[in-house]
Amino acid sequence: MTQGSIRVLFFGAAADRAGVREAEVSADVATLDELWPLVEQQHPDLSPMRGTLAFAVNGEYARGGDRVSPGDEVAVLPPVSGG
Amino acid sequence: MAGSFAIVEEPIDVGGLVSAAQRPDCGAVSTFVGTTRIDESDEASVEYLEYEAYRPMADRKLEEIGAEIEERWDARHVSIVHRIGRVDPGEASVAIVVASPRRGPAFEASRYAIERIKEVVPIWKREVWSDGYVWVGSQVGTRS
Repeated sequence: MTQGSIRVLFFGAAADRAGVREAEVSADVATLDELWPLVEQQHPDLSPMRGTLAFAVNGEYARGGDRVSPGDEVAVLPPVSGG
Repeated sequence: MAGSFAIVEEPIDVGGLVSAAQRPDCGAVSTFVGTTRIDESDEASVEYLEYEAYRPMADRKLEEIGAEIEERWDARHVSIVHRIGRVDPGEASVAIVVASPRRGPAFEASRYAIERIKEVVPIWKREVWSDGYVWVGSQVGTRS
């Protein structure tokens, strides 16, 4: 991974829509809300799902205003359907 | 509290989980097993389910559910095992085993565990039908 970039992981239907399982975003963003438009720009097919998605930062659920930093792992999580 | 929490890629040994939960201070072992069901619609039917997980977050969430159960009930042994990958019809995708001195807490805690799994554990299932697939909960897929 490039130093200073954020690693974005996609799962389930989000991986399907994005067409990849992971991406890198190297930009100066401070929160998830600032990161999302860049992810969407790379993978516009995710846009219709936005309202259903949850996020995790470094393996724990996070909200839009939560901080993200270079080196973090951000996961894009569709509605879970285990069981 | 004894027990185990795991995400596995092979068939779940439900009998082994139940045996491991039996103990002299408990009069109840409650077991929930979620299995793959064949749904049908018009001309098509489900052929199998395929699960994927975000690890290790999913592993940690299973352990957290165990800790929540320990706070709420007198559970002496809790095992939660979720399978990922392809799961064929009738096979177990998840097994929950709770041992408690009495049946009430054992039933309640095992019910709680499956409901929490469906709320917070980052695991997803894809139904693979004879005419395409669909991600459950997202309705994204290739079925017409």
